[in-house]
Amino acid sequence: MTVATPLDATAPPPKRVGIVRSFLCDEGFRNATYKGQEGYEVQVRLTSYRSLPLSCVEGLTLKVDGQEVSAENITFIMNGYSHSISELPQLSSIWWFILDTATLFVAHEGGLSAGVHEVEGTLITVEPYITAGRFSFYNSAKKSLQLEQE
Amino acid sequence: MTAVSGFRVGVTLHSFAQEYLNLQWSFEDLMQMAGLLGGGVEIVGPSHHRGFPYVTDEFECQFKGAVERYHLTPTCYGTYADPYMLQHRNLTPDELVEYTIPQLQGAHKLGFTLVRLQYFVYPVIERLLPYAEKYNLKMGYEMHVPLTFESPRTQELLRQVEHISSEHLGMIPDCGIFARSVPQFAKDNAVRRGIPENLVNHAVELWKAKVPLKEALDELTSRGLEKSNLTVLERFWGSFGQSNPESLLDIMPYIIHIHGKFFSMVDGDEPDIRFEEVVQALLKGGYTGWLSSEFEGNASDSFEVLKAHQEMLHHYIRANA
Repeated sequence: MTVATPLDATAPPPKRVGIVRSFLCDEGFRNATYKGQEGYEVQVRLTSYRSLPLSCVEGLTLKVDGQEVSAENITFIMNGYSHSISELPQLSSIWWFILDTATLFVAHEGGLSAGVHEVEGTLITVEPYITAGRFSFYNSAKKSLQLEQE
Repeated sequence: MTAVSGFRVGVTLHSFAQEYLNLQWSFEDLMQMAGLLGGGVEIVGPSHHRGFPYVTDEFECQFKGAVERYHLTPTCYGTYADPYMLQHRNLTPDELVEYTIPQLQGAHKLGFTLVRLQYFVYPVIERLLPYAEKYNLKMGYEMHVPLTFESPRTQELLRQVEHISSEHLGMIPDCGIFARSVPQFAKDNAVRRGIPENLVNHAVELWKAKVPLKEALDELTSRGLEKSNLTVLERFWGSFGQSNPESLLDIMPYIIHIHGKFFSMVDGDEPDIRFEEVVQALLKGGYTGWLSSEFEGNASDSFEVLKAHQEMLHHYIRANA
């Protein structure tokens, strides 16, 4: 008897549950300490279809429970390196791979209270070939996120 | 899956963008499905591997391993010029060359013999040709909307390709330039964005009548289209071209690859793209390269819609052989 191996498949591989793609991830929303500072973390994704150099991230904004978070309080952490939001546009040789998440650490004394928080975010990106010069795309997301226990 | 014709049908992994980006299918899964969809595999550099614009040794192993496992033929590597990647200025000609060379090298490393170029490298093409020779690559300018046959830019590219007349330089028509109608999903999308249906329909009429974009937008604005919605209808002009597939015959010697762009399949046919005429032209012209099915639309399952697309192509190939 011949046993069919996965490599002889005639049907496509099964789909995982996956995610609903959005700038804001469902997971990884938690209080954290970064370089001695108290605060919390939000995990984020690129909303393009392709990797982009960080110089194509024109900006990002965050609102938690209706309060705008100052960009100066946000640290962008990717692959173990941290950057301020204002320096992203200069980083043309650091790439954000399309499937990777980045962490936004927000300095916030005492962290957030336990429970659900309303998180809103906008990622402003440039698709570096569309069409005549830099054109900004705004990708917004709004989620009720449960603060994960440490 | 190879039919009696001289050209072959494969797939670009870009077709699976929805499931890939939603982490439902992995890169390995996509490669496996390419094996079930004609065996020719095209990838998009910055979508499908880390390290872009370079190709790492690790990805080389991953890619070549999958090519072997699923008996694939690497057909086309999608390069990018990304001229606007810097904040305050466009890439200089030197930078365009510097950015493209590792992509050519990477494509070769992965076993591709053909790359897609964006037209922005037009001014530096003479400096890239030696690398195409070195890495044994054909490079092709993608003719993607708005680069229809009629566009001055396409004409300029064609003049260059003709003038240089190198086996390393050609054209890659994208079937999005052969639309007969605006796809339903694009119309639905416009209505969903709050644009009144009569304005959407009027935009479709203007598109059909080939009214130039600026004029059309002025007219739609005068009929009450809000400024914030301009870009939604602009997309009709930006995504769907109205060239005649017969024009393929005029540039047949320069066609090195085809992007079989499609948006939906309804009852076994693509309602908006003139695929039968595309197939007829390719057969008549004796085209022997690959056509990558390239799905860009909303579907519950990309694999199923790609399978339907390829069945349609093979049906047209048999009917016109």
